[in-house]
Amino acid sequence: LLPLLAALAAGAAEARATSEGQLSGAAAMGTGTPPSPSGTAFEETRLHVFTLDYPHVQIPFEITLWILLASLAKIGFHLYHKLPSIVPESCLLILVGLLLGGIIFGAEEKSPPVMNSDVFFLYLLPPIVLDAGYFMPTRLFFENFGTIFWYAVVGTLWNAIGIGISLYGICQISAFGLTDITLLQNLLFGSLISAVDPVAVLAVFENIHVNEQLYILVFGESLLNDAITVVLYNLFKSFCQMRTIKVIDIFAGIANFFIVGIGGVLIGILLGFVAAFTTRFTHKIRVIEPLFVFLYSYLSYITAEMFHLSGIMAITACAMTMNKYVEENVSQKSYTTIKYFMKMLSSVSETLIFIFMGVSTVGKNHEWNWAFVSFTLLFCLIWRALGVFVLTQIINVFRTIPLTFKDQFIIAYGGLRGAICFSLVFLLPPAVFPRKKLFITAVIVVIFFTVFIQGITIRPLVEFLDVKRSNKKQPAVSEEIYNRFFDHVKTGIEDVCGHWGHNFWRDKFKKFDNKYLRRLLIRENQPKSSIVSLYKKLEIKHAIEMAESGMISKVPSSVSLSDYHEGKIKPLSPTEMENMREILTKNLYQIRHRTMSYNRHSLAADANEKQAKEILIRRRHSLRESLRKTNSLSRERPVLAFCGGFF
Amino acid sequence: GLLSREDFQRIPELAINPLGDRIINAFFPEGEDQVNFRGFMRTLAHFRPIEDNEKSKDQNGPEPLNSRSNKLHFAFRLYDLDKDDKISRDELLQVLRMMVGVNISDEQLGSIADRTIQEADQDGDSAISFAEFVKVLEKVDVEQKMSIRFLH
Repeated sequence: LLPLLAALAAGAAEARATSEGQLSGAAAMGTGTPPSPSGTAFEETRLHVFTLDYPHVQIPFEITLWILLASLAKIGFHLYHKLPSIVPESCLLILVGLLLGGIIFGAEEKSPPVMNSDVFFLYLLPPIVLDAGYFMPTRLFFENFGTIFWYAVVGTLWNAIGIGISLYGICQISAFGLTDITLLQNLLFGSLISAVDPVAVLAVFENIHVNEQLYILVFGESLLNDAITVVLYNLFKSFCQMRTIKVIDIFAGIANFFIVGIGGVLIGILLGFVAAFTTRFTHKIRVIEPLFVFLYSYLSYITAEMFHLSGIMAITACAMTMNKYVEENVSQKSYTTIKYFMKMLSSVSETLIFIFMGVSTVGKNHEWNWAFVSFTLLFCLIWRALGVFVLTQIINVFRTIPLTFKDQFIIAYGGLRGAICFSLVFLLPPAVFPRKKLFITAVIVVIFFTVFIQGITIRPLVEFLDVKRSNKKQPAVSEEIYNRFFDHVKTGIEDVCGHWGHNFWRDKFKKFDNKYLRRLLIRENQPKSSIVSLYKKLEIKHAIEMAESGMISKVPSSVSLSDYHEGKIKPLSPTEMENMREILTKNLYQIRHRTMSYNRHSLAADANEKQAKEILIRRRHSLRESLRKTNSLSRERPVLAFCGGFF
Repeated sequence: GLLSREDFQRIPELAINPLGDRIINAFFPEGEDQVNFRGFMRTLAHFRPIEDNEKSKDQNGPEPLNSRSNKLHFAFRLYDLDKDDKISRDELLQVLRMMVGVNISDEQLGSIADRTIQEADQDGDSAISFAEFVKVLEKVDVEQKMSIRFLH
């Protein structure tokens, strides 16, 4: 693979050089040769059998090659199946990028194309945020909204200001040669480096078993704090460019923060409703239904960006609004298409971003200063840990389910930095920031440290923490059964309570929703999910069977109860026990998860749906049994009705 | 102010819970088809978390519903359909069948059930009595597994 890439890169470089040569040659020819009336001065070009015209396709060609390279790299990682669990994919992608950057640097002797911040913010970032917002479990999100908001806003502010001020203190020490960096510049640097990017952590979360609360906290915080970082960044950047700062400017800054956040959300919600309304009428043109989803969400992003509002919050709000209504209006196939396409886009974006990060690292735009870089790293870690700890102490007072020490550790240690702070640092105007290269170096070092070292070690550390806490496991087959049994019972009772637990605002919203919004936005008479339509099909089939065979039906789940021999139970060998335990682990039904574990790279819904179908079919049969016993067909109604509020 | 079984069956999440039917049955007292609020609360009270200060308070009075032994009793009753204070092989098999996917054959399930009984059984009657049930679960953190924090 590598020689091929090298050849391609070299070939691309050469072709560019020769094509430039060709162009200049053509220009020279055009101007140099005077038009001659005699007709012999033009060199006639014979008909070419084979031509190479690279500049014509240069831009799309290179883009396609980049994306292809990214995808091939991903295939490569997964060939060795243990690799992704030890080393997170982001690390591997950055390594590939570094390699590629090195090749290009070696081939052309100049810095490789640095990721254009416009490209990042306008094209690469929206798909990732859209994907995250679309698959966000809204109910859990809103239940924990207070905590999420607290961590995102106050936590980011704490980090930004803390890092900024401490770095300013370091800069004052003249021995390091940093005295020309002002307080405002330090604050700006602090705000852009506190942009925690837990996307990489989420990939690690699949291996660590975290409770759902923690998962939604980290997930929600990542979305909200990106917006806050961007607001702070723009704020401090404008401050840096102003000559004097008056008190009124600070108030304007605070007001701007609110406007940016709320404005973005409003735009998102508005466009989400418009999208839902549009899909109400698309039943004749099913094929382009997915397009509306993507167009409207992207529209919300760029509209918000146009007004300098928070595009991230806009697209998240749009996705969350659309999710509810669009799901019911579009066909099943369109829905699947939307989900898959979204995953594909966000996966590609993320891959490209990491590769570009690696490529852009190689080059001449660095300035190394031991003190600044190491202290930046140190302060990032310290302030993150302190921040999480202090904030959790405060917020635990208000929460019914407090966050344990293990949770706090995961949140603090999982503060990996990523592509957003990378792009923000490239956006710094060099006129105002003469030491821009220093900032770039520091940011790159921090990102590499967090992604590589923290990313790789977080899993072993958590396992270490877990092992210290949990008791020795009993090597009993039955334990698996009992544990799962208790889990099922607990989730069942939780569902009973949850169903009857009332939340004032949620109820109000539901009433409003049912009365006005759903009537406006949803087309009538649509089957709600594949399970309900399957159920209805089975009902019809069974009704026909019953009519034909006169109420006789087989019960598939009757175990061989009559075959049981009253005999001694013989002891089992260890291998047989192992077998049993394996069978159980694989085949016991999973408990109902309120939140699907978020995975950038795959859709997790299929396994759960299969399990749900099996359970439903079995229960339907046993309900038929009890029906037969009481012999009253009036029981049919609730059986259909309980699928009514499905999914 | 009365709940019937249909009301419970309308909860979608319970429909796809493998033990849904058993859980619904647990709410209804013997032979009745309706439960009032008091009975509903009694069942739910089993799942209150155990608090430390409660242990010291009422030593002489009746045991609170959410004590460890009452929680275990609740779970035991979910297995024991015929209420003979023993989980027979059949009852265990029924619950196992509900909890397991369709890929497992009846013989495999039978041997798993046998093994489970064997691990718990101490008096050799090929069934699990309540005392044996408690003994098997003594290392399991039942208090945590069967506690729900109400009122989020």
